[in-house]
Formats: sequence, structure tokens, C-alpha cells
Amino acid sequence: MTVRIAIQQEDFNLAEEYEWLRQISPAVGAVVTFSGLVRDFESTDGARNAIDSLSLQHYPGMTESLLQEIVDQAMRRWPLLGVTVIHRVGKLLPAEQIVFVGVASQHRAAAFEAAQCVMDYLKTRATFWKKVDQNGREHWVESKDSDQVARQRWAADD
Amino acid sequence: MIKLLFFGRLGDVACDAPKLIEANTPAEIRDLLAADFPELGRQLREPQVLVSVNQMIVSWNQPLAAGSEVAFLPPVTGG
Repeated sequence: MTVRIAIQQEDFNLAEEYEWLRQISPAVGAVVTFSGLVRDFESTDGARNAIDSLSLQHYPGMTESLLQEIVDQAMRRWPLLGVTVIHRVGKLLPAEQIVFVGVASQHRAAAFEAAQCVMDYLKTRATFWKKVDQNGREHWVESKDSDQVARQRWAADD
Repeated sequence: MIKLLFFGRLGDVACDAPKLIEANTPAEIRDLLAADFPELGRQLREPQVLVSVNQMIVSWNQPLAAGSEVAFLPPVTGG
């Protein structure tokens, strides 16, 4: 089992991340990758507001150990061969990549499910906070109940 | 002394709050801060705000050792 966790300002390269997961073992039969991007709008109370940029803050040290715990939990639940989690921090513009989760396994079901589970826990547990810049006015993003609901479907293992 | 960290929106309301304090539990820190910074105190009492000691989520009544790092964490919004 090979794990890579990175919190970084720099962008990541999807092709390189896929190649890395692919070459982990000749037993890899499935690679699922998820990329999260910065949308150019925010939905607030049903209204759609354009945004100029996002700023990502995190708790160095704690974020890495929480992500490791999330990956460890997925490894106990599914037979995985490799997992990569990359999260960017700092200032990001619309259409930029913000988060990457990649999972390699022998068969697709484990890879699909584990990738989704890791993302659902990352959204609700990992210590990141987003601030939106809208025309020079900044505000912190509020957490969404729908993210908690998404995580709870994995709760049998919680 | 206990080192204090405030993340996300809590950082904005805690800009004038002390970053070092003497206290026995996170709950005591919250009460001390609330006395001087009412808006910070109000936000720290929101049920969804979590507290960590040395980067582990703990209860508000966790006893604190000198030199601990206490962080106040509003709901996370990464991903």
C-alpha cells in the first residue's frame, strides 16, 4: 500500500498523478481520480454570485494527520493498492484545480467507493477553511449540511 | 502559558485577543476571552465550533499542560 499526501500552493498535474498510481503495482486493475476545481460563482440562499478568487487556509500538521487518518480508514475498509490526496492552499482563481484524490485497486468497485469516501471525509473533517473574494469584499465560506449528509453514508465504519 | 490559535472566521474576530494565556481547560480559556471579547466569546460558544489541544480534537473540559497549543476550529470548508 502506497500513500502520498501533499498540501501545497503549487498546481498538480493530473497525468503525472495518474501515472504514479498506475505504476504502483502490476496488480492495479483500476485507477479512479477525482479533481475539484474552483467554481466562478457561489450559491447563497438560492442566488448565484460571481467570485473573483478563493483563499485557502489550513492548520499545518493537523491537516496532514487528519488526511492520513482518513486514508487509513479507507485502507481498512477496501483492499487498496495506492492512494494520493493533494490539497492546494493560498490564493486560487476560478477554474484552477484545488483538490485531487486518486485511488488504485485491483477492481473498480473499491476504487470508486474509496475515492468518494475519502473526499466526503476530507470535506467534513480536514482542517481547511475557504475565504471568498467578491469584488474586493471577503467572507468565509459556510459549511454545508449536504456535505455532512454525504459523509454519513459511510458512517457504519465511523 | 498556553498558546492560542484561531482559524477561519474566528481569526477575524480574534485579531485583538491574546495569543498566550494561563488557564486549566479550553472552557476556561473561552470564558476568559468572552469577558474581554464578547463577539469572540459568542462564536466560540457555537456548538459546531471544535477545540483541539496539541492538534487533537478534545472536549472543552480537557485539562491543559503548560506549553500546550490550543486551537479553535470553526466548521471546515475544504475540498
